[in-house]
Amino acid sequence: MPAPEQPDHQQRFGLVDHLLGDSLLVIVILAWWAYSSRVPEYIFPTPLTVGKTLLSLVADPPMLMHTAASMVRVVTSVFTATVLGSALALLAYYLPVTREIVHGRIKPFLQSFPSIGWALLAIVWFKISNSAVIFVEVAVLIPFCLVNVSEGLRNIDLELLEMGHSFTRWNWRVFRWVIWPLLYPFVIAATRMAYGVGLKIALVAEVFGAKSGLGFLMYQAEEAADTPMVFGTCIAIVILFIIGDRLVFEPLSKLYRGSNVATAASRTA
Amino acid sequence: MAARDDQVRPAAFAWPRGKSRISPELAAHIFTACVLLAWAIASSVLPSYILPSPVMVGTRVVDLLTTGAYLRHAVFSIVHVALALGLAFSFGLALSALAHYARVTRLLIHARLNGFLNSFSALGWTFLAIIWFGVNDFTVVFAMAAVILPLVIINLREGFLQLEKEVVEMARSFCHRPLRQFRMITLPLLAPYIVATLRITYGVAWIISLTAELFGGSSGFGYLLNRARMEFKLDMIFAIIFLIIFIVYTTDRFVWIPLQERMRRHYAGA
Repeated sequence: MPAPEQPDHQQRFGLVDHLLGDSLLVIVILAWWAYSSRVPEYIFPTPLTVGKTLLSLVADPPMLMHTAASMVRVVTSVFTATVLGSALALLAYYLPVTREIVHGRIKPFLQSFPSIGWALLAIVWFKISNSAVIFVEVAVLIPFCLVNVSEGLRNIDLELLEMGHSFTRWNWRVFRWVIWPLLYPFVIAATRMAYGVGLKIALVAEVFGAKSGLGFLMYQAEEAADTPMVFGTCIAIVILFIIGDRLVFEPLSKLYRGSNVATAASRTA
Repeated sequence: MAARDDQVRPAAFAWPRGKSRISPELAAHIFTACVLLAWAIASSVLPSYILPSPVMVGTRVVDLLTTGAYLRHAVFSIVHVALALGLAFSFGLALSALAHYARVTRLLIHARLNGFLNSFSALGWTFLAIIWFGVNDFTVVFAMAAVILPLVIINLREGFLQLEKEVVEMARSFCHRPLRQFRMITLPLLAPYIVATLRITYGVAWIISLTAELFGGSSGFGYLLNRARMEFKLDMIFAIIFLIIFIVYTTDRFVWIPLQERMRRHYAGA
């Protein structure tokens, strides 16, 4: 029997696609180079200048401090938002009377509140400090975690849950060995998404609420018309996202795949 | 000791809905009332530049909707949002169609270009636009369109992938002019995806407009927000934010959801 045809959007790009697609990318970079060498650097910097600025963000100690400050705030915020978002989702799940409060009031409010609004309120309430930046990031990230974890809880197989309860009368054991392994992919997906959004939000939050970080650097660069630094900080965010995604979230997302879930479920028995 | 009945039930049923004396909807209304009351009490203790009262914020909202000078800014914001959506949709549709019909560009557009655009921050686009174009309306529209574009490409890509091959083939057998085929067959088939994308990007556009106008514009709600920030008028900041939330919510509730529902019925009927 022939193998079922893979849906178009799941098809991987082949060698020819890479050859053609990536050569177009090279052409785009060459065009950038050609154009930037004709205009002043403050209008459009060359790829080389941007590359040097990027390197300085990790090699130059004072610059590295800014990069590290942003990363520490993002990691703290992602962790806090995941805990708070998951707590809200679990509250609505275990206490149905709070369902409408969480999903009908808190979630839509946080989802539609602009990040710039949080940033302006944070500097009034917390002054310029780490707390102000972390507050903004957490407020923006909570709905992402809440939505993902709620979706995970909604997708839990009730029969598996019932089976778990037939083996033990302790709710926490069912949570640990049945709910948690089933929920884990959704929690990781939430954290992964929050990390990506958090890096971008860090820039907005740090423009107003901090005297360090990539957002602060970017704002200073914009004021001084230092275009390579504006480019550099933006691309640094893209690179930090790729590194975090590949080195942290991809291995984490594989942790409970396949046999691990079965093993965890069998331990309940 | 015998286990209680709810201890052996699946966790989902551990707190049966029937046992609760108040409904979740009533609980939500009580919660809203409690939050408003807490806000009113806290604002009576704290100075208004830290936390303005709900009444002050309500008065500012009315001002925003009735004063000519403020309405002018509202019109500017509406125009910025409309232009940015138009620009992002034009480019997004063109790029998605190009990736769909010219396989050679697929990796470049979906994997490289869109990956890059999607992770580039809104603030970065705003600052670059200020450097390139100065502080004006075009800067605002450009920055907003750059943020919306990857969302349009992602959604329309799905639309192109779901196109029924048989219908497209039938169109090809009836007409040899590709543009006519696209206008008469492909575009109507893409309509539900276009509406869904509009619904998603509309809310994002309003939220992004504040950032873009605050830094790069001299008009619109974002500009007003910046003025309020410099004058420590927290009541105005609250009023603008609540107005944006109201605009996004009501448009979604009364325009996009009915339109999407109508579209769903139309296509289900076909």
